[in-house]
Parts: sequence; C-alpha cells; structure tokens
Amino acid sequence: MRLELGSFPVRTIAFGPATRWADGRLTVDKAAALAEVRRDARIASADLEVAAPGESVRIWPVRDVIEPRIKVDGPGQCYPAICGRDVATVGQGRTHRLSGMGVVEVSSVNWHDSGGDFVETYLDMAGPFAAMYPYQRLQLLCLVVEPDPALSDESRNDAVHKAALAVSDHVARATISLTPPERETFELGPCDPALPRVVYIWGVHSPQAMSGSLTAFCTATYGLTQLTAPWLLHPNEIVDGALTGPYRTAFAMSWTVANNPLFLDLCRRHGRDWSFLGVIVLRTEWTTQHEKQMIANQTAKTAKMLGAQGAVVTWDAGGNEFIEVVRTIQACERLGVKTVFLTSEDDATDGAPTMLEPLPEADAIVSTSFFKNVTLGVADPPPVRRVIGLDRKVIHRGSGVGLHGGADSALPTSGTLPPPWRYDDHYGFGTLSCIE
Amino acid sequence: MTTPLRVAHYVNQFFAGMGGEERADVGVSVREGPVGPGRALQAALGESARIVGTIVCGDNFINESPAAALPAVTAGLRELAPDVVVAGPAFGSGRYGLACGMVCRAAREAEFPAVTAMHPDNPGVAAFRREVIILPAGESATSMQPAMEGLARLVLKLGRGEALGPAEIEGYVSQGARRVWDRGRPGYQRALDMLLAKLHDRPFVSEVPFRAPDRVTPAAPVADLSRATIAMVTTGGLVRKGNPDRQVAANATRYHRHSVRDLEALTPEGWEAYHAGYFNHIVNRNPNYILPLSFLRDLEAKGRIGRVHEWMYALPGVSTPVAMARELGRGIGEDLREARVDGVLLVAT
Amino acid sequence: MISAIYTFAMTTGANRVVRGARIEHVCGDPSLGSEKDYAYGMRIVGTALQALTVAVPGPTLFDPQAEETPEAVHAS
Repeated sequence: MRLELGSFPVRTIAFGPATRWADGRLTVDKAAALAEVRRDARIASADLEVAAPGESVRIWPVRDVIEPRIKVDGPGQCYPAICGRDVATVGQGRTHRLSGMGVVEVSSVNWHDSGGDFVETYLDMAGPFAAMYPYQRLQLLCLVVEPDPALSDESRNDAVHKAALAVSDHVARATISLTPPERETFELGPCDPALPRVVYIWGVHSPQAMSGSLTAFCTATYGLTQLTAPWLLHPNEIVDGALTGPYRTAFAMSWTVANNPLFLDLCRRHGRDWSFLGVIVLRTEWTTQHEKQMIANQTAKTAKMLGAQGAVVTWDAGGNEFIEVVRTIQACERLGVKTVFLTSEDDATDGAPTMLEPLPEADAIVSTSFFKNVTLGVADPPPVRRVIGLDRKVIHRGSGVGLHGGADSALPTSGTLPPPWRYDDHYGFGTLSCIE
Repeated sequence: MTTPLRVAHYVNQFFAGMGGEERADVGVSVREGPVGPGRALQAALGESARIVGTIVCGDNFINESPAAALPAVTAGLRELAPDVVVAGPAFGSGRYGLACGMVCRAAREAEFPAVTAMHPDNPGVAAFRREVIILPAGESATSMQPAMEGLARLVLKLGRGEALGPAEIEGYVSQGARRVWDRGRPGYQRALDMLLAKLHDRPFVSEVPFRAPDRVTPAAPVADLSRATIAMVTTGGLVRKGNPDRQVAANATRYHRHSVRDLEALTPEGWEAYHAGYFNHIVNRNPNYILPLSFLRDLEAKGRIGRVHEWMYALPGVSTPVAMARELGRGIGEDLREARVDGVLLVAT
Repeated sequence: MISAIYTFAMTTGANRVVRGARIEHVCGDPSLGSEKDYAYGMRIVGTALQALTVAVPGPTLFDPQAEETPEAVHAS
C-alpha cells in the first residue's frame, strides 16, 4: 500500500466569496460551507467562526478537532465509515490535507445520556493553559452547531459530527486540483531484515460499557465504536483517518490521532531504525475478567504472529481499562515481544503505586505525568475577550469530571474557569513527566 | 583556596576495628579523623573535604537503646561541627543499616545534612528511605570503593549547599515522593528511544519503577456462619433514590452508611447507583446486584447466617487515590469491628 | 470481595476474592430471566459466605462457577 500525502499549510483563515487555498491563505465561503451543513435536516443551527493563535479567545464545548483531509486518488473517503461515509479500506493513492489548521466541532451535545462521560474540553488560544496543547499553534475554523433537540442521543451526536466533517470536506476540496507545496510518501517498503520488527498497539476506548449501547458515539475504527476483537490497520489507514477521535480529553481528538507524533515517527523511521509492521487497535473497557484477559492474550498473539519483536503501547482512557492494557503488555512480554508503555499516571499518594495494577512485566514505562490538571497544579485560565460557543460552562459537581465543589453551577465561559479534569497526553506530545 | 568541608563519619564497632559480635554492645565514642573505611572515604573526597572525626557505636547498643545512644551521637556531632555527616556504608548488614538510618535522621534533626549507603535489600532502606538519603551499595565490603566514590560525590554537593536533584538522577534510593518533572524531550521521543534500547539490549531506566502493591494479612476465618453477623459494603456508588445525601459520583473523600434494618431487599424505588465509572442503569433496576441484601435476607431467614448487620456502607470506588482508599477502608473497618461484625461482603464494580 | 475483575483484585492484595458476573451487575445476570438471575446471585453470595469460613494464606479466588462446594483456587 502506497500513499502520497500532499500538505497545504494554512497560515491564515478568512471568510470570502469563494473557498480557496493560495499561498497559505485559506478563504472560506461561509454561506456555501454552511449550506452543506444545513443539507442535513437534523441541524437546527450552525455558524462558523475563526480563532487564531495568540488571540484572547476561548472555544467551548470542544467535541472534536479535525484536520481536513481528502482523497484525491485511490479508494474510499478520508475519515471513512463514520457518519455514513464510505466504508472502503483507505490508505492508497493520494490524499491532500490542510496542515496547520483544524475544524473544531463546537456543540452542547453530550456523548451519551447514561451519565459519567461529559464533554468538558475547552481550548484557549493564548496563555499558559493554551501552551499545554498543540491547538494554540493552529488556525481553527470553528463550527458552532446544534441539532434538533428532539432527536435521540445517538442521532444528535451523528448529526453534529457529520456537520463538522462536511465543513472539513468543504475546505479540503479546495486543494484537489492544486499541486501540494509539501509531499510525503507513506509506504512500508522492504527493509534490512536485521532491523527489529515493531508494532504499535493502540488502546482505544469504546463507549459500549459506559453507554450500554453498541453504537454510542466516540472514537471509532471505520465508524465502529463497539468492543471488538483487535483491528489490524496498515499505517496508511490511520493517515487517511480510519481511526477517528474523539473521546473525552483534549488529546483524544481526530487531529491528535492523525498527527500522533509517536505513530508518525514509527512510520518515518521504518527502514532506518526498525521495520514497522503496523497498528493493532485494542478497544478497551471490557467488563469481565475473561474478556479483558482474552483481548490481552489475542492482541499479544496477533503481534507475535505478525513477527513483532517489539511493541509500543498507548491508551486513551482510565480506570479499569488499564487492566486489559497492562495485561496486553504482560502477554506480549511473555511471548517475547518487548514492550514500551507510554502512559499518564494517577496521583502519587503516600508512596503507593500510581498505576491501577502494577505488573512486573511492564518494566519500560514512559510517563506523561499525572493526568489530573489539579495534580499538575494547572492554574485556572484567566478571563478572555471572546468566546466561541456557549457563554456558560456547567461545572458538574460530583460527576466523573471531578471535585469542583459546591452545587452544580454554570460559570461564564469568558471568565476564570477551572481547567478540565484531565490533561492526559496520550501520545507523548509534551515533555511533562514524573520523577522521584 | 576554599576551606575543605568538614565531614563527620559514623561507623559501627566492627569497622572501627574493635571487634565483631562480641563488641556490638559498646556505647558511643568519638575519635579524631578518619577510622577504618573512613580512610577510603577521605581518599575519595580528596582535598575538598576533611573527615574531622568519627563517631563509633556498637550495632546492638544503638538498636536496643536508641534513647541513650542517639543523644550521645548528636552531642558528638555538635562537637565535631561538620558540614556533612556520612554513615556507613552498611552494605548488607541489617542492624548496621538501621543504625546508619537512625544516625542520619538524628543528624538531620540537629540540622546537619546527612547521607548513608547500603544494599537495597538492607532493612534500613525500607525503614528510612523516606527520611534519609541512601545510596544503593553492594552486598559486602568488596564494593567499598564504588560506595565511597558515590558517597563522596553526594557529600560535596550537600556540603556546598547545592540542592539535590531527584533520586532517579542523583542515584539515591527513591524517597517515594513522586512529582511532576519536565524531562525536556517529548514523551514520544523518549518512548522510541526506550524501545530501541530495550530491543538492542542496552540499559534503560523506566520512568515508573515497579512498586508491588501492599499485602494484607488475611483475617481469620468465620467459625460459624449460622451465628455470624454479616455486613455489606459496596464501592458501586449505591445511593438513596434521588441522592438526598449528595454522595459524589467519583473521587470519594468519605463514605456513607445506611440502615437496612427494616429492609428485605433494595428496590429501585428506594435506591440507585451514582457512579461515574460504569453503566448504572442495570443496577438502577435491581440495586441488589451491588449490595446483595435480598440474598442475605433469604439466607438469614433459612438460618444459614446469624443476622444481617443493620448498617451497610457505600461509596463510589472510581478515581480514588490509594491513600484515600486506605483511609476510607480503615474507617469502615473500625466501625464494623466496634459493632462486632463477623464477616463482610464487599462488592466492587 | 465480590468482583467481576477478580485477578486485579488479587494482584492488589484482596485476600478472599469471589468472581462476580460483570461490572454492571456483579451479583447476578438480568439476561438469564428473573429466576435464574436470582439463583446465580445466590450462588455468588453463597460462595462469598463460604469463603469467609476458609483460612487463606494470601489472595485466593473462589469461583461460583466451579463445582458444588466451591474450592479455593490459590493465586499463582
């Protein structure tokens, strides 16, 4: 499988009479883009706004950030199979992307109504809080969208995410006939057999357990969010968006998945430092020991059958999902597949382990520090001049969102806000860690 | 030329050349300059520091009579007025390791920076690592040289008032104080570096050292169930319907107890789950799934158990740091023990 | 302790661990229909009570799915 990715860097976004890209400037025909969004009768309201790096602006609620990518040649559709898109296997031919930007899905629609999981990410474009995330360097085209409130949970989720993808497609389409200023080829070519063979075991949360539904919206593998056996993906499929965000943290977005630096380095150093065999997607939050151990055993066995000698493991969740991830690591080690685990940590209390189930086989861990913003000592971001999205942010008392104290309250979005509960750098973008 | 740092050294009766076990009862004495292995320490320190005196004490005396020994040690240190105190190395000797720990702690209390060295399995490490800087050393005195070189390096840092970096960097035994640290390079690069090191059999250091969870001595079995009082505890986030007690759904810092004295079973009219870590709807339809009252009442009526304890305990067991969980568990346990409960069923989700 | 994720309970030090059905319904299974669901719950609770009467050396699993009188299965 050979994929050529052409990049069109975006340095500024403005609204104008026609959607076009030229020399780093993206002009968006707002009316045309919104017309495409409104083709879906489920959409009640939609608007587009731009947020630029350095601006005193806050975007809330952020459900997803999507890098516009579009197939120019080759089967299928980027961000395949989600929201009714083509399910054909992607990863071949040519794909164009608008780099340096993201389409932000801004909506009050929550993931599902079963409790426990709330949208709580907001993004600033300036200040120390913004500096913790990669988005503050991007030009952000924000779709503020609300669906018909009478629709079911899952329909509302589908509608707003489809709308965001419509905007993404709309702007990406402007590059189709253009020559990309930057080009990169993704291919797992033949390489020196002496190079170590490695896989990337990518733990991805499934909303099935928390929502009680097989089709609840969340990060998806070709549109599927349910708990399944492991999926073996060619890296090019990831480049074409086969694994879409979002889940519940700022680092679990379609943008961070497609721009996962750990994944990209594995691709780029194939043939030089290792032979990259591919990605094994491990869906997590099984709810019996049998299931957790089985997925761990089978994921490790899959890696071994592929010929892996090493594996890098990441995950994007918390709580009991750690169990199947760490047991996958244990199973790999027992099969002779050497693992490195990139993970955040829970609070260090009184010298107790910061991992839910420490196992001696997990002997090579890279820590992206404590996952709680309160433990990291992140200061409340100060007031901003402009808000994109809702003008009030609900602070959930006693929910999984954490200790905000007092009664359920709604604070002005433009004012001082507590940071979201979780930081959780799933893919090692940042330099924060822990030490003792 | 700067004045050399003043170092006080602590050794046991054996390393002071007084004898072995038979002299382990000797009390505290102070000698001038380096004694025994102190000479190796002095050589490692070079010109930058001078061992001004050595405090000697028998291993048995200090371990059995610390109330007598430690004040004498402290008095000796005050007389020597050192910039830094070094104890040991104790290598694998347990009593010596404990003695070194005590001496370093006493030195710190008297405001003298202190450091020691011993084998990682020495009981002195488990007992003192949180309060005392301990360099890992070999099992026996055959590793005296590297131990002294390591100690000398830390002595010079401490003596100059330089801040000691984290254990992982300076090489001393972790003090269990894990904290945020900027490692300067992005996590993904560190992960790939670690992968290559592991694959090529090169040394690497895990950023999260393995720490086995605590073990607890099992409670003695219940002798006779038919006469036993059985209590129920759940971490499934059970609350009274509508959550009038305002129990949180995660990050519990307290538990709640409710009376089941007049209840034969938990009903969905009276109870529900409020827990951010699992799908609550099934328990909402039958709360006995996470607090098995209906089953225990059945068994109580059949005489299989003596009686169901009046109080049940509930909290949401999600996102709870270990230390908090320990505290909550202790609280519940004490309550139940006071109430003379014989056995507990703890249901976890 | 009754838990559906029992191995983890044992690794982290719980000494008497009884295998529960599923995180979402630990003492029973609604998909079995109300009679069998109740019987299953009774098996689990019965096993738990039985476990209270057994001396254990350390983390030990008691499995309600095992034979009539549940045998203690010691942690490896």
